[in-house]
Amino acid sequence: MNAETKVANLKPNGRKIFWTFIPRSEKEAGESIVRNLLFHWFPAKTTLRSLSWSYSLWLGTITAGLFLILTLTGAVLMFLYVPSVERAYQTVKDFEYVVSFGAFIRAMHRNAAHLMVAVVFLHMVRVFLAGAYKNGIATDQNRPLNWIIGVVLLLVTLFLSFTGYLLPWDQLAYWAVTVGTNIAKSIPLVGEEVRYFLLGAHEIDQNALIRFYVLHCFFLPLVVLLLLSYHMWRVRKDGGLACVDPLVLSQEKQKQEGGVKSKTYSLLGLTAGRTVQVETTLRDEEQHTVNSVPVLTRRIALVLLSTFVAVAVMSLFVGAPLEEAANPNVTPNPAKAPWYFLWLQELVSITTFTVAGITFDGSFIGGVLIPGVLVIVLLLWPYLDKSPAAATGIWFDRTRTRQNIVFIAVCLMIIILTVIGTFMRGPYWEFYWPWESWPVLPKVY
Amino acid sequence: MKLLRRDFLNKLGLASVAALLAGHVFTWVRSLFPNVTYGQLRRVKIGHPHEIPEGIMFFNDLKLYVYRDRETFHAISAVCTHLGCTVNHTKLARPKTVEIEGKSVVIDSEFHCPCHGSKFYGDGMNYEGPAPRPLEWVRLEIAPEDGKLVADLDQRVERNSKLTV
Repeated sequence: MNAETKVANLKPNGRKIFWTFIPRSEKEAGESIVRNLLFHWFPAKTTLRSLSWSYSLWLGTITAGLFLILTLTGAVLMFLYVPSVERAYQTVKDFEYVVSFGAFIRAMHRNAAHLMVAVVFLHMVRVFLAGAYKNGIATDQNRPLNWIIGVVLLLVTLFLSFTGYLLPWDQLAYWAVTVGTNIAKSIPLVGEEVRYFLLGAHEIDQNALIRFYVLHCFFLPLVVLLLLSYHMWRVRKDGGLACVDPLVLSQEKQKQEGGVKSKTYSLLGLTAGRTVQVETTLRDEEQHTVNSVPVLTRRIALVLLSTFVAVAVMSLFVGAPLEEAANPNVTPNPAKAPWYFLWLQELVSITTFTVAGITFDGSFIGGVLIPGVLVIVLLLWPYLDKSPAAATGIWFDRTRTRQNIVFIAVCLMIIILTVIGTFMRGPYWEFYWPWESWPVLPKVY
Repeated sequence: MKLLRRDFLNKLGLASVAALLAGHVFTWVRSLFPNVTYGQLRRVKIGHPHEIPEGIMFFNDLKLYVYRDRETFHAISAVCTHLGCTVNHTKLARPKTVEIEGKSVVIDSEFHCPCHGSKFYGDGMNYEGPAPRPLEWVRLEIAPEDGKLVADLDQRVERNSKLTV
């Protein structure tokens, strides 16, 4: 029996599960296309517009690439890391000095994580400025829902980063948990219970480490995976990228009598709605679309490959730092969070104020209230945005100028606070200009 | 409105499944609130009063500053009242006179927090930065059995209430 017949014999329910690259009949050739999962991952046709580099900047695809890198390197690190307060620091130190390529793999993981925070943020900025959370052609679209899922994914990404940098159990980790869980404690009424739940104790110890470990390695990646799948599915249900909507809208004005010309593949019953790729909403479809395989798949492969190479090259030069082992007795001075949380650290430092003898604690104002309000406004924004449908999928559309300015202003404030926290805060969180040198303080051990 | 038997049974079935799932989720979440914790001791003997040096001494693992002024003792917690970092004791180059709650007081040391820049006078009073409250004064007492000084980290005392031995 040769290999081909062996494969052909694997027929659950009378159907093959593997297909040959050398079909022996027209039927087999046809079926290998129709039944192949990989050929149906993407829609059959893709509009040329949505392939543009400059419209979407491919930030979502880059994020997915980074998540893939994180999953692969993370799985390797899991084999070598021990989540115990006695051994965690030592195993991470071994990555740096003992394990073959350990420092490189850890650097890949850490650099990809930092890039993911940045790219997810930029992705959100892009979607906002291009009005891509709006329903353009309106039929069976629910882009606001996808925006909400995106915001949740951003929050999960941040929580993944937070739980991730705790695992080395170095000084950064210990004091980050201290500050992070005390922010949770500042919530009125339930704060104490929330902190107890997060730490699994009243103090930061083994219970806290194992909790953050399980969250980081299992629970949160699972949440990302589920939400990410739905995020991608919704992009298809909503008719592809938002930049296709203006094209359809511009044609609708001049559409001939007799309605939409339907295509044969809509007969497959894949969708009830008007997905651009399934039912032709476009006239002269041939002019505006190309086959997804290979044009779209080639670009995706290029983006994923570039992401991978970029992270790998970066990791040759930028390693993952490791501070001294966690020491509950000594707080580093200054004790700084990673850069993407420094705007929050800056906020909790400057938002304590006293009115009429009552002191409002910055831990709650800056650590819970302001970020909470920002997130809620962000979630609701698509429903507050009253710009016309014609503004969908267009960068800096004139009807959205005002809200774009507000959004950019908020983003700039976050960035400015981050820059101040990163470059202008020294010992005791005092303000120093970047060119000023910090005072030398006696080191406490 | 008439409720059909079939609809009723359908709803009953769905409700039981929902109750089943909710019950299980409850057991999972509840199990993560420990009933017993094995934390550090909160009531600790720190030594005979005469062993404590004159001036200020920092007990690392208790995060506690203990002061001795001849026969008088008091202890200030080093845990910042803002977000829990450990404050550092800083001796001032020369004593300064400050106003604390309407009284002018001469202080020769301060506490500074490395995390968010909170500042406290030597008696724990917050005067700058995000800390919303003064540093806590911890209860000191003498153990009846052996006369040792005991710090009870869970007991707070009024600011400026000191133990005289």
